Amino acid sequence: MSAGSPITVLISALGGEGGGVLAGWIADAAVAEGLHAQRTSIPGVAQRTGATTYYLEILPHADAGRGPGKPVLALNPAPGRVDVLIGTELLETARMVQTGYATPDRTVLIGVVRRVYTVAEKASMGDGRLDPDRLEAIVERYSKTALLGDLGAIAQAAGSHLNAVLLGALAGSGTLPIPPDRYRDAIRAGAKAVESNLRGFEAGLAFARTGRTGPAPAAETEDAVRPVPEAWSLYPEGALPMIEAGSQRLADYQDDAYVALYADRLKRFAGRPGADAAFLSELARILALRMAFEDTIRVAQLKLTAARLEQVRAEAGARSGEIVDVIEYMKPGPEELFSLLPPALARRALAFLAGRGWDTWSIPMNVTATRFGGFIRLKTLASLRGWRRRTLRYADEQAWIEHWLDLIDRTLAVDPDAAREVVAIGGLVKGYADTHKRGRRNFDRIVARVVEPALAGDLPAPAFADAVLNARLAALKDPEGTALDETIRSLWASLAPDRQAAE
Amino acid sequence: MEVSFHREIETLRLGAGDTFHGEGIMAVTKALLQSGVAYVGGYQGAPVSHLLDVLLQAEDLLGELGIRLETCTNEAAAAAMLAASINYPLRGAVTWKSIVGTNVAADALSNLSSAGVIGGAMIIVGEDYGEGASVIQERTQAYAVKSSVWLLDPRPELPTIVRMVEKGFALSEASSTPVILELRIRACHVFGAFEASDNRRSEHSATNRFAEPAGFDYARLSHPPVTFVQEADKVNRRLPAARAFIRDNRLNETLGPEDGDIGIIVQGGMFNVLNGRLAEAGLSDAYGDIGIPTHVLNVTYPLVPEEIAAFCADKRAVLVVEEGGPDFIEKEIGQILRHAELDTKLHGKDVLPMAGEYSPVVVARGLSAFLSRYGRNEAARLDEWVEAVEAHSQSVARDLTAPLPPRPPTFCTGCPERPVFSAMKLLREETGPVHVAADIGCHAFATFPPFSQGNSILGYGMSLASNAAVSGTQAKRPLSVMGDGGFWHNGLLTGVAGSVFNQDDSVLVIFKNGYTSATGVQDVPSSRPQGEGRGRGLDIESALKSLGVGWVRTVHSYSVSTMRKTLREALGSDETGPKVIIADGECQLARQRRVRPAEARAVAEGRRVVRTRFWVDPDVCTGDHACIRLSGCPSLTVKPSTDPLKPEPVAHVNNDCVGCGLCGEVSHAAQLCPSFARLEIIRNPNGWDRFRARLSSALIRLFGGYAAPSEPDARPAPHPIPAE
Repeated sequence: MSAGSPITVLISALGGEGGGVLAGWIADAAVAEGLHAQRTSIPGVAQRTGATTYYLEILPHADAGRGPGKPVLALNPAPGRVDVLIGTELLETARMVQTGYATPDRTVLIGVVRRVYTVAEKASMGDGRLDPDRLEAIVERYSKTALLGDLGAIAQAAGSHLNAVLLGALAGSGTLPIPPDRYRDAIRAGAKAVESNLRGFEAGLAFARTGRTGPAPAAETEDAVRPVPEAWSLYPEGALPMIEAGSQRLADYQDDAYVALYADRLKRFAGRPGADAAFLSELARILALRMAFEDTIRVAQLKLTAARLEQVRAEAGARSGEIVDVIEYMKPGPEELFSLLPPALARRALAFLAGRGWDTWSIPMNVTATRFGGFIRLKTLASLRGWRRRTLRYADEQAWIEHWLDLIDRTLAVDPDAAREVVAIGGLVKGYADTHKRGRRNFDRIVARVVEPALAGDLPAPAFADAVLNARLAALKDPEGTALDETIRSLWASLAPDRQAAE
Repeated sequence: MEVSFHREIETLRLGAGDTFHGEGIMAVTKALLQSGVAYVGGYQGAPVSHLLDVLLQAEDLLGELGIRLETCTNEAAAAAMLAASINYPLRGAVTWKSIVGTNVAADALSNLSSAGVIGGAMIIVGEDYGEGASVIQERTQAYAVKSSVWLLDPRPELPTIVRMVEKGFALSEASSTPVILELRIRACHVFGAFEASDNRRSEHSATNRFAEPAGFDYARLSHPPVTFVQEADKVNRRLPAARAFIRDNRLNETLGPEDGDIGIIVQGGMFNVLNGRLAEAGLSDAYGDIGIPTHVLNVTYPLVPEEIAAFCADKRAVLVVEEGGPDFIEKEIGQILRHAELDTKLHGKDVLPMAGEYSPVVVARGLSAFLSRYGRNEAARLDEWVEAVEAHSQSVARDLTAPLPPRPPTFCTGCPERPVFSAMKLLREETGPVHVAADIGCHAFATFPPFSQGNSILGYGMSLASNAAVSGTQAKRPLSVMGDGGFWHNGLLTGVAGSVFNQDDSVLVIFKNGYTSATGVQDVPSSRPQGEGRGRGLDIESALKSLGVGWVRTVHSYSVSTMRKTLREALGSDETGPKVIIADGECQLARQRRVRPAEARAVAEGRRVVRTRFWVDPDVCTGDHACIRLSGCPSLTVKPSTDPLKPEPVAHVNNDCVGCGLCGEVSHAAQLCPSFARLEIIRNPNGWDRFRARLSSALIRLFGGYAAPSEPDARPAPHPIPAE
């Protein structure tokens, strides 16, 4: 009952990352070194991108032959008793840490600073991502030593797989009584992708020894200070970058006159009580986005930019000499097409189609932007920019913008905090087709059921800003609008019942 | 098959004097060969899928040893296969996942057990209980008890596992009773070593066949009136014979000191977890040098009353460590103690939970309660550890401020089943919700976000049958989904035939992806015959038609719009009886395993290859992520926006994309947004490709556009990304 404790290693990986191969290399290297090693795993449905773990225990062989004979591997890792935790993804590593598979008294943690987002995070209608800094801080705080880095980038730079880099990092950490050559032998014995795996191993080894985390992230370069137009002197310093960005966007989108309209709209709020830098910055941001609404003309224009081609080639991993074609998926329906007509004509055309039940019809188009035929079609569409001011869509969007600005104006007069929230609900409107319709619907609902009643004095003044905020957050919860309905209902239910009846 | 064991299979040829190194499942396979089996078979399911994969890949070796190998269509077929051991002195082994597979096999198992065997018959089950389990939490023990089948639960280390396989056959023969060997998931995958012995050849086998069938012997039939005789034989002869064999061969082990006033009785499979906690308490070490008498039940049914009584005789109290409920073993030990008139105090489920997995923390709590009750101060060390673990978790939780989101498994990148659920989700927006009967298989992942659909899961291939009464009592026609695996396993008869028979008004979607993919891509009868696979290409559509299904449509599963239209038709059709849609698309795991190396080879050889993947234009994406809510593909993710006006992360297709086309299909079908583009990367372009590209670029530039450089240089990249 006094034999040495085993050294325990836990690997937390996602399906298809080669965690099993990594565990195999470690065990093989340990056995070759004359240690006793056993390992097991929970692969389960790991291939299907679930989380998975591998567990190893390593004992000096010299002790073998004691007791009833062979060592008894615990099969399950025990919280607080893990010497090395290897994690390939930050959230899963944090999950392991929470269970106790990393503790400040003993665990050397080798972690990849990388996020593979969960479906819940990805599917959010806004930004559903967890704060990676918080995860990283926890992983560091609850381990004895944390060797964290962008090992994925190191693997990519080495043209290797992540698991080989992790093996190198483990070797370099010196936590296990196994010299690097044993690991190299284990890789060679694997007889699969030996060259690239050895490259990855060396890169990982270097990382652990030098703490070098691959290419340093480029420092954020300060944008060159542009000459600020005189009109901007009306605004606090903090709002200027966003106003500048908005102006640039609109100059690209339409013309100088349109930028002037933007400036004019903003001026309405300059110097108003409560319209501080943060307020104006957010207003400038959303106003610019709404003014640069994405009609068919804009989409065509965006698809013709030069930067795009570079980006595509880089992301496709295309090497020089290879040809990359970009085939656009577009499916304009009657609304997208006919809203390019002048309002009177467009409304008649749309009413005609709706009457016949043809309004759900649309044309699926695959346009190859990198070939002349596709290019010229996009170019023709984009050249309609000058016509834009005469279209139904333009008229419609401008009317909406005026309506929204008017609401902000009225709210600002009574409650600056609430006005901030009325600015924010403008951001609910975005996108194309159904997304755009849903945004408008949510916006209209919040205005009709919260903002207007509040302005009319039906809502206690202190509750105004919170009510708009809660409604906006609820609108982002589910696309069906269930949470929004529920939030509005409970808002009114919390007030006097007679008010509810009046609704 | 997903995993290749070709390297490991060489270890199956080891003989006496060699040391075998490998995984638990491989050790079991080797033990079967050392036991001289004449036939093997089974049905795939975690965690024993690999056993079947290994057997299939070792077909040459099995052939040399004359072993008959059968890939069974379900567990009932596998259990029925053991009938060969009723009449003939043949050793045979089959495998499946428990508890679900045992449920399916129950009929054959009862009849096999009633008739009894003369050749050793063994069932190797993956006891999928607890962590990571994909089935209901029930124990195989119940079947062992009710059918009088012996249950082996070896200590999870290779020598013991191998010994129990070998001894298990002898036990089966000594008591004319089939045996079940259960292995939990970590035991299946545990790597270790054992001293090998030579493979044995069965006297009679596929290569040395019986010249004549066994003579007629009514006593071998499980048919009245002899079933009553067999029932008595189970009790009067087979059970005592089994107990004598277990005792004489010391299948159970008593470890630790001879004396001690308290002791522990543990299921073999739970021994390592127990030992870990005893070591924590200072009552054992990494070598299992236990300081407290411990009786290890490598056979959990039947118990040997004399052994139990002898172990308990001089003790004040014993603790039974038995995972899961009901407490079969503890109850029986209680009865044994009573019969032996021992007043040893019995503990078990009073200090350990009746339900749930016995993880280290759970075992530590129970062990501590037991030890402290008998004044053992080692309990304090366990308490200290448990408290530290709890404090740690709470501290991390506080720092995290919000619970971490779960990460359930999901459809693989490019999975052909996902588009069907996208189509169903889009249709739901039109029709409102319909009742959906889900099934076992990858498609059960559609019960997780972003699809979150399915009203019931009743068993493998049971979805259509489970909608029989629903379809007769709902205003809206219900949907059933089923894989081709489930269809051949059970759904064809239980579902389709029954539904035609009763003219049920139901819609069935069959996912024809070509394999049982969830279990590791094994062949089903409709798998295409190729390579070393066993598929025979049985045709699902003709099977349906021959059963009298009038409305059958086959739709390419990636065609979201067509699928939505077909689903709409099926839900509205006037046709009576079941309406069946076959969603046709090969499993991407299998496809990529084939296509990737072939493509890599072609590129290396300088042949023209067109690779397709998707791309999201970050400038056009509005950050609403509706595409993700309709797809959930692992390669469709988000990345930070670089646009100062749009702080929300934008959708992004990463380089794992296999170009299945779902993104484009969904953006068309749902009219999402025009940010999706398909990229076609022409590797090793030919002269015509280059000419066309140059011409287009020149014209585009002429009209004021941007185009790729006209004279791309042909230097290869420095480090090719490995294909594996």
